[in-house]
Amino acid sequence: MFQFLIDALLRTADLALVTLGLSMLYGLVKFPNIAHVQYAMFGAYASYALYAAGAPLVGALLIASVVTGVLALGLHLLIFRRLLRAGPSISMVGSLAVSMLAIALMQGLAGSFPRMFKLGHTAPLTIAGAHISYTQFYFVCTTVVLLVLVMLLLFYTRLGRAMRALTNNAALANASGLNAERITFLVSFASGMVASLGGSMLSLSTGAHINLGNDLLLPVFAAAILGGLGNPMGAIAGALLIAVTETAVTNLNFGFLFGVDMKFLPVTYINAASFLILLLALLFKPYGLFDHEVRRV
Amino acid sequence: MFDFLVFSLTVAGIYALMALGLNLQAGYAGLMNFGHIAFAGLGAYATGIAFTLGWAPLAGAALGVLAAMALGWCIGRIGNKLASDYWGIATLAIAEILRTIAINEDWLTGGSNGISAIPSLFDGLGRPWSGLAFLGLVMLAVAVCALLCRRLGDGRFGRALRLMREEPQLAACMGYDLRSLKSRTLMAGAAITALGGSLYAHYMSFVSPDYMFPAETFLLWTMVMIGGVGSTAGVLVGVALVQAANVLAPFAREVLGFGSDVAGALRLGLIGLILLACLLWRSEGLVPEKLRKMP
Repeated sequence: MFQFLIDALLRTADLALVTLGLSMLYGLVKFPNIAHVQYAMFGAYASYALYAAGAPLVGALLIASVVTGVLALGLHLLIFRRLLRAGPSISMVGSLAVSMLAIALMQGLAGSFPRMFKLGHTAPLTIAGAHISYTQFYFVCTTVVLLVLVMLLLFYTRLGRAMRALTNNAALANASGLNAERITFLVSFASGMVASLGGSMLSLSTGAHINLGNDLLLPVFAAAILGGLGNPMGAIAGALLIAVTETAVTNLNFGFLFGVDMKFLPVTYINAASFLILLLALLFKPYGLFDHEVRRV
Repeated sequence: MFDFLVFSLTVAGIYALMALGLNLQAGYAGLMNFGHIAFAGLGAYATGIAFTLGWAPLAGAALGVLAAMALGWCIGRIGNKLASDYWGIATLAIAEILRTIAINEDWLTGGSNGISAIPSLFDGLGRPWSGLAFLGLVMLAVAVCALLCRRLGDGRFGRALRLMREEPQLAACMGYDLRSLKSRTLMAGAAITALGGSLYAHYMSFVSPDYMFPAETFLLWTMVMIGGVGSTAGVLVGVALVQAANVLAPFAREVLGFGSDVAGALRLGLIGLILLACLLWRSEGLVPEKLRKMP
């Protein structure tokens, strides 16, 4: 049972950081940026390259996240800002094109084999009979600290208040003298950074590979939509919900239904579970579970 | 060389069918369908499964078209109350669920190995003629579907779709049932696309879950966006351009001596680049849709 909680927590940590950035940015730019998950992949490769070049692990992660943040900001300035003038659907197709380009670039530079970090083996940590490796333990701790920091930023600073005002009613916030442009730049940068951190910490256990972003795409979007796109705290709750469901689907023993001792769903159905939750959420709560936006009636 | 040309043209024709199907939805009706390849996959799998059951090819194609239309109807129902970007993600999820099922249900779909040895339609004719006959069939199908799409787009139905795309509330006020319009567009597009998928399965004599990669949908989107959303001629131009880029990539590999990773990356990157350039500088496409403006 405790192992179940640990597994769910690990999966939440995988998803939470990437989802958080996506959701925060959506609140400001109002189109779902498909290329966002590729920042995680890019960050993973950048961390690997820095680490392989001899940088200490933490330094490699931090530098990679800053580089990815700059990349995200650059893409916003050069591409998405122009596309947004043509409307959200065009921007969405554009982010798709950026996503394809990112994968192509990485495949050309690094090949299609995963790059594993050589971290050495340590005995796993054992808490109440559940196993978790030290890397994973630090990963969860870092994620929690980061999430708390973002929460403090959002609810206890001027900048956070401005961001929330812009998300809720951009026209009104603009009229009250908030500099929307500058805040969007800042959030673009921050979302790239956070996604990169999430991706590179994920790659510590799975290796950096070109499908890292694509594999995250649907679970992350499912989590963000469940949480109500544009609602950062909802995004984290959505990630938790998706993680718990995925872990439950794979750990449940369906034997009693078929009259046999052991019957589990194939592991490849994990993803299908999160897509299914996404569909159900869209059917019954089209704007997510934790949506607080005021809508015109 | 001649065989290669026939092959490229046939594949281009099949892609044209799928792109015409997407254009009905994305072009005329403005529906952001990111799971379009699921329709083609249903067509291909229906053909494969019908073959293993010993049915005639026509029955397989019919089964595929019907299944795709049923899926299109369901997707249309989901789209009823969703904003377009949410709906796009939902269609992507549906296509991925179908692909996961195709990978896992070995008894029906052959799992990741797929179904092989599906007979081509004109094997009896001998080497060069069988390929040419297939090309002729595909081109005939493209011509018929293009004319149909054109008629559909210019007629009352197409005008209603354009009105729904531009001014949904006005369309609703004028008494159009938006939900039924969406469903019918999706079903029509799905039927054409499933036909393309069925032909593809016969041509490759093989069907596998790889046919349903999301990248294939994005390839179709690129074709539609480059040529001109909402214009039948534009879609055909877009298909020709993208297929030319596809065909030339292996040559570039031979000449410049790339590895297969780089060649694959080059193909994907080229398509992404064309799509992005097109969106940035010519978002209405090379052959723009002609809209009648009211004075």
